[in-house]
Amino acid sequence: MAECDLGFCELSFQQRPELVSVVRRFVSDFYDRTLCDPDVSSRLALATHELLENAVKYSRDGKAKLRIEVSSRGSNAHILVRTRNRATAEDAEYVQNTIQEMRGSPDPNLYYLDVIRRNARRTHGSGLGLARIHAEAEMKVSVTCGKGGTMTVIAETDVELNEAALSVRGVA
Amino acid sequence: MPPIQSAELKAVVEAIDRGLLVRLVGTADLRVTDTVEQLLTSVHQQATAGQVSEVRVDLRDLEFMNSSCFKSFVTWISQVQELPESGQYRIRFMSNPKILWQRRSLNALSCFAAHLVTIEAAAN
Repeated sequence: MAECDLGFCELSFQQRPELVSVVRRFVSDFYDRTLCDPDVSSRLALATHELLENAVKYSRDGKAKLRIEVSSRGSNAHILVRTRNRATAEDAEYVQNTIQEMRGSPDPNLYYLDVIRRNARRTHGSGLGLARIHAEAEMKVSVTCGKGGTMTVIAETDVELNEAALSVRGVA
Repeated sequence: MPPIQSAELKAVVEAIDRGLLVRLVGTADLRVTDTVEQLLTSVHQQATAGQVSEVRVDLRDLEFMNSSCFKSFVTWISQVQELPESGQYRIRFMSNPKILWQRRSLNALSCFAAHLVTIEAAAN
């Protein structure tokens, strides 16, 4: 397997929330051209938007990084969306606990519905972003916390490459 | 309520036959979270005061909605659920099949309140 053989992009942000939607449109086009599947592109664009918006919103220093990797695995593509920021200990703990709870639930859609019900009256933050990525974007989510409050959140999935995508790669 | 005219989101609320029509155009993201919440609070107040039977929400030109704005819809629907049954009104979402996130997100709202929420797929 060649790493990122289908493409990658990496972007750095200062505190500019208005750029998140600009990035969603940009990466949506990137996914379209790489994977040639509008439904997959839509799911991945949603996940990218949610992760990046959270990374920017909850960054202690207003900075955030986004990296997207698309690599081939036989007739499948592996897509990894990674955000990195400096989070408060409280926010990092919240994300870790949420992901642990989410991964302990056997059905992403039932878990999502449960989170929707529980958070209907919540006033601080939606509490829905990670569950939305897990259920609507059909992606596995993980988090790593490192030195200096660095928090890395990864959403990843495998998708089957269709004929058009294989053709772009020169395989079909 | 006066129309919302920001660079990223436009919203209009109109009275229609026995109900209200809410039309959202553009992008509902981090920049307009409070605006969407206030809009839906106002819509709920108008709907209950006017004893309407249905509120239509036209999302056919809504390019994207983030989870914070989506949550405002969840809160609104839960407020309708908490009304006495005789005071509850239905919420009909008009979606665009070409905007693919809408199918999954609106399906989640429909599962949350199947008795109140209807999804209508209709391209422009």
